[in-house]
Amino acid sequence: MGSQVKDVIIKPDAPTALMLDKHADYIAAYGSNKDNYEYTLSEYLRMSGMYWGLTVMDLMGQLQRMNREEITDFIKACQHECGGISASIGHDPHLLYTLSAVQILSLYDNVDAIDVDKVVEYVQGLQQEDGSFAGDKWGEIDTRFSFCAVATLSLLGKMDKINVDKAVEFILSCMNFDGGFGCRPGSESHAGQIYCCTGFLSLTGQLHQVNADLLGWWLCERQLSSGGLNGRPEKLPDVCYSWWVLASLKIIGRIHWINKAKLRAFILACQDEETGGFSDRPGDMVDPFHTLFGVAGLSLLGEERVKSVNPVLCMPEDVLQRIGLQPDLLS
Amino acid sequence: MAESEEEVDVLVQRVVKDIANAFKRNPSIDEIGVIPCPEARYNRSPIVLVENKLGVESWCVKFLLPYVHNKLLLFRQRKQWLDREALVDITCTLLLLNPDFTTAWNVRKELMQCGVLIPEKDLYLGKLALTKFPKSPETWIHRRWVLQQILRQSCAVGHSGEQQQQQQGEEAPPADRERSQQLSDHMARTLHQEMKVCSDAACRYPSNYNAWSHRIWVLQHMAKGNVKVFHDELSSMRLWVSMHVSDHSGFHYRQFLLQELTAELSQTPPSTSTTTCSSHHQSSAAPSVSPPPNSHAQANGELSAAEAAGEEEGQLGFPTVPQLFHQEMELCSDLIQSFPGHETLWSHRRHVFYLWHQWRSEQQHHCSSKGSSNSVHLNDGDATLPEVDAQSCADRGDSVNGRGRTTEPMEVDRASLPDPRDSKRLKRGVPPPAPHTLPSEHSFVRGVLDRCSNTEQRHFVLAYKKWLDTVIGQQP
Repeated sequence: MGSQVKDVIIKPDAPTALMLDKHADYIAAYGSNKDNYEYTLSEYLRMSGMYWGLTVMDLMGQLQRMNREEITDFIKACQHECGGISASIGHDPHLLYTLSAVQILSLYDNVDAIDVDKVVEYVQGLQQEDGSFAGDKWGEIDTRFSFCAVATLSLLGKMDKINVDKAVEFILSCMNFDGGFGCRPGSESHAGQIYCCTGFLSLTGQLHQVNADLLGWWLCERQLSSGGLNGRPEKLPDVCYSWWVLASLKIIGRIHWINKAKLRAFILACQDEETGGFSDRPGDMVDPFHTLFGVAGLSLLGEERVKSVNPVLCMPEDVLQRIGLQPDLLS
Repeated sequence: MAESEEEVDVLVQRVVKDIANAFKRNPSIDEIGVIPCPEARYNRSPIVLVENKLGVESWCVKFLLPYVHNKLLLFRQRKQWLDREALVDITCTLLLLNPDFTTAWNVRKELMQCGVLIPEKDLYLGKLALTKFPKSPETWIHRRWVLQQILRQSCAVGHSGEQQQQQQGEEAPPADRERSQQLSDHMARTLHQEMKVCSDAACRYPSNYNAWSHRIWVLQHMAKGNVKVFHDELSSMRLWVSMHVSDHSGFHYRQFLLQELTAELSQTPPSTSTTTCSSHHQSSAAPSVSPPPNSHAQANGELSAAEAAGEEEGQLGFPTVPQLFHQEMELCSDLIQSFPGHETLWSHRRHVFYLWHQWRSEQQHHCSSKGSSNSVHLNDGDATLPEVDAQSCADRGDSVNGRGRTTEPMEVDRASLPDPRDSKRLKRGVPPPAPHTLPSEHSFVRGVLDRCSNTEQRHFVLAYKKWLDTVIGQQP
């Protein structure tokens, strides 16, 4: 009888060595052809795309290959009157891209390139009565946006500008019986949302509210025979969950509950030896998103050739040290 | 195939118009797609409409998308004016090709705010986009905004109707009552349409988190406390999940429904009114979504005949909470046995058993704090077959993992003494629901282990056993 378990099989010829130079070349060249159709399709998230690329370059010690000035000018042009920042020029502002922009400027130690007070005003204005955050003026509520809000304000040192207690109350209302979190109260637990909520609770000093054993168990059940991690039961493994799941485990002090060697082997197998970069699973097309989370995942697993990454903010630890930001982690 | 800027301009404008005209010609288009077609046929439109399917030939997409994309952004930056009709057509084209382009949906929100677009148009456009992009987060997000506009509109109408009612005394004039009824029917139709859209998207992509979380959102906002809707959903999803045993989101939806039904049925009396605004509309003339015979009476707070007669069928003709849990656990057991090795089914069992266990603990706590006078209420929900009692007695001899019994199962057994009404039921041939206890779950585990030959099934049943011991067994 065939196996029912959804998983991949890593081929014997899959990459086993970390090809950092190839990845740096891949990211450095990405987006150089702006007429590319795929590039246009993804313009709606460009600011986040830039954050993924720049962060992975910094983790690999290659940030200097990117154009700091061009990027700073681009970000300035994306700040709107309301203070919010858009994904690209002419697009509408949103919390997601406001966070990405602040993260990028933090890498460059240049947050004052934008109007910080206006950013804070924008974030503040998105908090709802029940403590939740809307993503933008149109009102969609999602725990991801709570994370974006506190992460942005933490990087700017302005957490006091929102009602933290109410914000915490809302996040806790999204905690499910399995210890996990969904996008809204009553929603299914999902590794991505769990990352956002544990990150949120870390930044607000509320990690003691997490049931670490229960959640840790749910998270380590994400590891499959291939060594890869999925985001929910019976989903295929995906390198980006090597980040969402792994970082969450690190935050709640249970990273030793997964098989690190097998996960490392899976992540390495997701590299493309020809083009550089990582894909979601072995053999698929690469992209900057999976490249960041592959490298960041390896960093969390102890890869020495890569800088230490902070599990809460997915930024190099040395950048956060410079800012003076040290989010809580459970031991 | 080099084309000059003017040629591209002309071509794209024609294509955008062709798409708009296709919708005008056929308002029943129900699916979109790209037709693999590497080269243009001479002088023929790349827009193909066959029956109710709208196709775009692939050769033109690489011209079309960047062009309309940039045109919209130039408008957004106030560098180029676009009239309302152009905005409608361009955003329509864009979103059929790239429905995650948030800004394009936002332009349509603004068009809706100034009356150029009606909400139904965007529900339709979104529905089409989802046929090709069933996960598209921005499409679902926009959909929720549109539904909120619809809810707000109906609320405003409802309020003005109510105000008139109050001014004119108890009986609203027939015209207002009819309008209220029409409104309620509209809400019911909208609700059911949403269920269909979610269903279609769930079929198109396995474990579609966005589709199912939208479905939950819709019930939370448009069917608050409506027991009939929740129960109908639970019934209608039974077959679907049986055919999609890996769909974790589908099963989670059932957990959500159970949780809501449990909460509602544990209060008295539950509401069956469609939520158009806040809950204080419960006593209004708005009937339930697909009205059972007594809905009007119930909406006015009167007991149905079944209710007045006794509690055997539970309130308002719905199953009791124990019956619901029993049915769900049975469904779960059947599927676990028919489809060995599916983590989703075991995950579902954990959830359902946890909810059941929690509900029973709450009922006991409620009873013990009120003394024995409430025992009727509890026993009705917690009736035991004598055989099950014997089983739990036998199991009490086994200690689990070498550990002794915790106090909780003892209290459960004391509370589930045979009820005299059970023997009456048995005589009538109506078996009371068998409760699912920790001992019976361990018994189930043993049964699966004995029968199982599938490695994955063994892995999951052992994990379930561990969960029973760790999470349930150690609860106060």
